[in-house]
Order: sequence, then C-alpha cells, then structure tokens
Amino acid sequence: MAETSEAKASTSPPGGDAGGEEDKRDERMLECNICLDTARDAVVSMCGHLFCWPCLHQWLETRPSRQVCPVCKAAISRDKVIPLYGRGNTKQEDPRNKRTEPENTSAFPGFSFGDGFHMSFGIGAFPFGVFTSTFNFGDSRPSAAPRGTAQYDEEQFLSKIFLWVAILFVLWLVFA
Amino acid sequence: MFNIAAKRIIKEIKEVINGDQVEDAALKLELVNDNWMDLRGEFKGPPDTPYEGGAFKLEIKVPETYPFNPPKVRFMTNVWHPNVSSVTGAICLDILKDQWAAALTLRTVMLSIQSLLAAAEPNDPQDAVVATQYKENPELFAKTAKHWTNIYAGGPNHVWEFNRKVEVLIDMGIEEHKARVALSTNDWDIEKATEHLFS
Repeated sequence: MAETSEAKASTSPPGGDAGGEEDKRDERMLECNICLDTARDAVVSMCGHLFCWPCLHQWLETRPSRQVCPVCKAAISRDKVIPLYGRGNTKQEDPRNKRTEPENTSAFPGFSFGDGFHMSFGIGAFPFGVFTSTFNFGDSRPSAAPRGTAQYDEEQFLSKIFLWVAILFVLWLVFA
Repeated sequence: MFNIAAKRIIKEIKEVINGDQVEDAALKLELVNDNWMDLRGEFKGPPDTPYEGGAFKLEIKVPETYPFNPPKVRFMTNVWHPNVSSVTGAICLDILKDQWAAALTLRTVMLSIQSLLAAAEPNDPQDAVVATQYKENPELFAKTAKHWTNIYAGGPNHVWEFNRKVEVLIDMGIEEHKARVALSTNDWDIEKATEHLFS
C-alpha cells in the first residue's frame, strides 16, 4: 500500500503535495459525468451518477427514444433524478423547473406594458355586424312607445346614457 | 454546447497526458493545428496478439455536439482486422455509433479500440475479406495481421515468408502496398494474387 502511494506521489507533477492531490480527488468526485466540470444544478440518477441538470437534460434531448444513463446505461428519465442541495445553496430551487433554454413566452408580441400586462384588439366579424343591424328585414321587434308616455321618457333616458357611455369609451380609447 | 465540447477536449487531453493508470502509459492524444475538433491518437498493440509491439495511429474528429454525439474515429495506420477496413481504416465499434454514451471519453474510446484489436467480432465485420479469413483460416489471419503490424505499425516481428512474396510481386512491377493487399486477400497465393491484379 505504502509503496504504491509513494510511487504515485513521485510520478505526480512537482509542486503538488499529498494534501493537494487529496483535494483534487475530492473535487473530481463532484464532477459532472458529462462536462467533466464541477456539477452545477446537480442532479443524481437512481443509479447514483452525478450530472449537471443542463448537461443531462441535453443528453436526454439528444436521444429521446433511448434514455439511458450516460455512465452505466441504466434506464433514466427526467422524473427519476434527484436534485442535490448543498448547504451553500440557499434557494433550493429544483433545477428541473428552471428553464434550461430560452423560450419565446409571449405568443402575441404586439402589446405588452412592462411585465405581465398584455392587451390585444379583436376585430371579429365587424363588417357583418353592420349588415346584420342595417338589413333587418322582417324584423318583428315591438315598435317604439308613443311619445308622452312614461315608457317613452325612460327609453330616451337610456339611449342618452348609452350615447355618453359610448362617447366616453371612444375618448378613453383615443387618450388612454 | 460549443463550449462544453472545447472545454472537455482540453480536459481529456490533460487527463491522458497526466494519466496515472498503467494502460494510459501506452496512450497518446494531441491536437492537430491547435484545433480541438481535429485530434490524433496513438496506442500500443495489445500484448499476446498479432498486433503486439505496434503503434497504431488514429484520426479523431470531434463534432460540435460532443459529448452528446460520438467522435468520428478511424485508423491512419493500415490494420489487418475483421472490424477495421483494410482500405479506409473505418472502425466498426458499437460505442462509436448507437451505443455511444456522453460519459465516455477519448481515453475510454482508445482503450475500447485497443481491446477490439485483442477481441475481434467477426460476425459484425467491417472488412468482409478479413473476416472470412479470420473465421476460415485463423492461423493465416494471425500471420497476416502480424505482418501488417510489422510493416505499417513498426512492430518488431517480421514474417519473412510474406516479405519474400511481396518482393516477388514488386519485381513484377507492382506497387508495394497494392502487392501486399492482393496477397493478403488471396491467402498469400502468388498465382491467385497476380491473377487478381491483372484481371
């Protein structure tokens, strides 16, 4: 035992003492098996292999039909990996819930004010609406109430209110 | 993606150079023209095989999508082996195709190719002529492989009988490598080889 470790120490490049080598090995223990760098957003598979989630995600995306562990080829899937949260990791956010690639979230890029408020105008069947109200042949709506009755006053009042509401709406559209 | 590939290749080269395992001593890996997508590998022929003592050079092309897709590897040294094309150097090895895994490295790939030389898969051949000889005349196959290792990979074991036969064809005005291929594919029968060459 002692001999082999001595032999190793002598073959290691100068400048690295035994402690440094130990540290190096510890570091390698926490390397992602895909990018060979220290794992970030680390996840571990059921078979015990450590990866960065972005790396593993890309591996699973590369061959969706054959999802196997890149190390031991055991079956692996998005739902069967465990995120690792170290002490320094205060947020403890599941890396799988983070977006791993930028997506275009706004489906309609026209009107958006700051974050979260979206507005759009629908035209609908506008020109046909005109026809339906203009060409109302054979309309059997009740005729207007005769002048002077209470019903006539009420109808006049309502139509004025609706007119003002319409004007306000148009003004709001223009100036808002 | 691009960055992972370049970073990994640099790390892998360092690992091969500083390799502390015994089998790593026989491996070489270096960049061609400082371009991480283009590498040269070299390994020693495995002991107790016809390839013993030879140094085999590999051309390694790394795709931008590495390590999610395998590197393209072929022999630059001529090799007589059922799973290696004697013409192009193409290698028939599952991990270079559908069995690739992202945790494999150029080091493990080279070790796999090294062990492929020791354990051929004649039922999944890359070179049908070689595979047939391997199955039907294993002794002649081993001798031919040893001869090719001696000539092309700098192996120490001469096969004088084959050297002389190649000389005979060279004297007939045939280029050396062509002569060797013709003899190898015709079970070292000079008559059959010449017939093959002049037909």
